[in-house]
Amino acid sequence: MATFITRRYSRQGLWSLFLTCAFPLHFWTLILVFRDISWLTERTNAWDAIGVASYGMVFAFTESVVIFLVAALLGFLTPKHWETDRRIAFLGLLILITSVWGMIGQLLFLWNIFLPEQAIQILRNSSHPLRIIYAVCLMVVTPTVLLPVYAFIRSNKAVMFMQNLMERLALLTTFYLFFDLLGLIIVIIRNIG
Amino acid sequence: MNNRFSRRDFLKLAGLLPLGLYAPRWSRILDAHTLAQEKPKNVLVIIFDAFSAYDISFYGYHRQTTPNIDRLAKRAIVYHNHFAAGNFTTPGTASLLTGVLPWTHRALNLNGKIADPYVTKNIFSAFNDYYRIAYSHNGFANTFLKQFHNDLDELIPRESLYLESYDSLVSTLFKNDDDIASVSWVRNMKVNEEGSAYSLFLSHLYESLQERKIESLKPLFPRGLPTTGLVNPYLLETAVDALSKRLSEIPQPFIGYFHFMPPHHPYRTSRDFFNAFKADGFKPVEKPIDVLADKISSEQPRRRTEYDEFILYCDREFGRLYNYLESSGLLENTWVVLTSDHGEMFERGISGHGSRVLYQPVVRIPLMIFEPGRQVGMDIYEYTSAVDVLPTLAHLTGQKTPSWTEGVVLPPYGTTNPNQNVYVVQAIDNAQDAALTQASTILVKENYKLHYYFGYPEVPEGELVKLFDIKSDPEELVDLYSLKKGLALELLNELKGKLAEVNKPYL
Repeated sequence: MATFITRRYSRQGLWSLFLTCAFPLHFWTLILVFRDISWLTERTNAWDAIGVASYGMVFAFTESVVIFLVAALLGFLTPKHWETDRRIAFLGLLILITSVWGMIGQLLFLWNIFLPEQAIQILRNSSHPLRIIYAVCLMVVTPTVLLPVYAFIRSNKAVMFMQNLMERLALLTTFYLFFDLLGLIIVIIRNIG
Repeated sequence: MNNRFSRRDFLKLAGLLPLGLYAPRWSRILDAHTLAQEKPKNVLVIIFDAFSAYDISFYGYHRQTTPNIDRLAKRAIVYHNHFAAGNFTTPGTASLLTGVLPWTHRALNLNGKIADPYVTKNIFSAFNDYYRIAYSHNGFANTFLKQFHNDLDELIPRESLYLESYDSLVSTLFKNDDDIASVSWVRNMKVNEEGSAYSLFLSHLYESLQERKIESLKPLFPRGLPTTGLVNPYLLETAVDALSKRLSEIPQPFIGYFHFMPPHHPYRTSRDFFNAFKADGFKPVEKPIDVLADKISSEQPRRRTEYDEFILYCDREFGRLYNYLESSGLLENTWVVLTSDHGEMFERGISGHGSRVLYQPVVRIPLMIFEPGRQVGMDIYEYTSAVDVLPTLAHLTGQKTPSWTEGVVLPPYGTTNPNQNVYVVQAIDNAQDAALTQASTILVKENYKLHYYFGYPEVPEGELVKLFDIKSDPEELVDLYSLKKGLALELLNELKGKLAEVNKPYL
C-alpha cells in the first residue's frame, strides 16, 4: 500500500497539496468571519464571537482534510508517467480553480448581482429555464477549467508557475494553520467545565 | 316545636355577620391551602416562544389566530395585561424561571447566563419534593436548564425532539458549548439568506444530504420545515406527542417546564394553515417609524401574516395537548400555565424581537392558568409580570414562597395590588457584571407606561423618555411625555431610583 502511494506522491508533495487545499478554504472562512465578528459581538459578547470564529477555523481545517483526501484520490486518475511534482501542481490548479468558482458563486449573492431583467424574461418564456441556466453555467465554467489545464499540459512554464504559486501560498497557509491551532485551543477551553 | 325566631336568636346570628362577609375571601385562601394539602397537584408550564398577546384573537386581535386557545380560555384565569421581563429569550426566560428581573439575575446578553447567586434560586429548587422535568427547543433557554441541572430530575436533551438531522451531531459533540458551536456550524454549513457560508464545498454537499432526509415532510410545510434558526428542523407535533407520553410515565406530583420554539422566526406553518390569512384585507394600525429601528423592513405585512399563520399551528397543537391532558385525567390534578418568554412586533419599522424598543407587542405576552376542575373562566386586568409566575405556582401548590423572588402571588390567589410596579428590562449590550449604561427599560404603573432608553448613540442627548396611557391608548400612539410632564418626571425619577439601586453593587 505504502509503495502504491509513494509511487504517486512524495511526503513533501502531499504536504504541499494539503496546504493548497487549505488555503482557499481558510481564506474564505476568515473573510466571512471578519465580516461577521462585529455583528456577533454586538449580539453576544467578545468571547462568544471569538468562539464562533474558533469553531469556524476548526471546521475549515476539517474541510481542508476532506478536500485534500478527495484531491489525493483524484491524483490516482492522472497519467502514471507524470512526475510527482507535476501531479501535485496539477491537482493544486484544479483545487484553486474550483475554489475561485465557489467564491464567485457566493459573491454574486453577497454583492447582489443578479441576472438582467431581459435574461430573466427569456428564461421565463422558455419551457426549460433550469436546463438553460445549467447550459450557460457549463459554457462559462468549462473554458476556465480547460484552458489552464491545456496550458498546464502543454507548457512547462505553466507547471513552473503553478509550483511557484503553491510555494508562496504554503507560507501563508502555515499562518492559517496556526490560527486553526489557536481555534482548537479555544474550542477545548470552551468545552471544559 | 317552636319555630319562632326570637330577638335573642337574631342577635346571636348577627354576630356571625362579619364572618359571613369575609367567608368568601377566606374560603378562597383556604381553598388554595386545603387543595394543596389534600393532594399535591402537578404543575405544567408551557411556553410558546415569541408569542405576542397582541396577535392572539382571545386578547382582541382581529385575525382568528387562536380558535382552540379561545375556546379553552373560557375555562381559565386569563391575564390581560401580562408583561414579559425582557424582549428576547434570555432575559424573558431567565426571569420566568428565577422570579427576579433581568437586572437582578443578570442574564442580559444574547447567550447570557444567570449569575451564580441565582443558579440555585429557580423554579425547580422551589419544588424540591416534586419530580422536576424540563425541555427546551430553544438553545438560550436550554442554557438555563443546564445551569439548573442540580435541581432537575430530568432534562430532556434538546436534540432528542428535533427531526433526525446531522445538526444534532454538533450539539452532542460540543455538549458544554452547544449554542456557540451550533451558531458556528450554521455559519459554516448553511447557505444563509445572503447566499454565503463559511464552507465553500461541504456546505453544498451537506445541504443536499440534509434535504434528502426531510424530503417526505417537505410537502407538509410549504414555507420549509420549522427550524430553530437555520438549523435543527423539528415538528411541534413530535414534541407534543413526546411530552404527552412522558407525562403519563413520570412520578407525580411533577413540575414540568416545556419551552417550544413556535411561533418564533422562521415562521413556517403547516400546510393546513398556509395562506390562511393571505389577502384577508387585514390592516394593522399604522405607526410611525421609531428612532431606534435599526433596519427598516418593507416586508412587515407579509411577515406578520406568516407569523399569524404560524400561531395557528401552535394553537392547534396546544389544543391537542389540552385534549390529551383532559382525556388522560391529568388535567384534574394539574395546574397548567400557558405563557411566553417575550412577544414579537411588526410595526414602526421593526420586525421580530430583540431590537431595543419595548412597545406592547414585544413585551405583552399571554398568561393563562388552567386551574384543576375550573369550568368557568376569569379575566384579570391588573398589570402583572413574568416574575409573578414562580411565587404564584409555589403558593398554589402549598410550597414555601421563595424569599428571593421579586414577584407577587397573582390575583385572584394573592392580594391584589393595583399599584404594583411592573418593570421590563433590555440591556443586550451591557456587560453582565457592570452597571447598566446602555439599556431600554419600562415602568408600568396605574395604566401608565413609561419608556426610558439610555446610552444609545442614536438617541439625542443620550436618553429618550416616552409616556403612554396604555388603557386608553393600547397601541401607544400618543406620547404623553410633553402633555403630562409632571407625571412623566415622577415616574422617571422612580425608575431612575430603581436603576440606581440595582446598579449599586456594580459601581
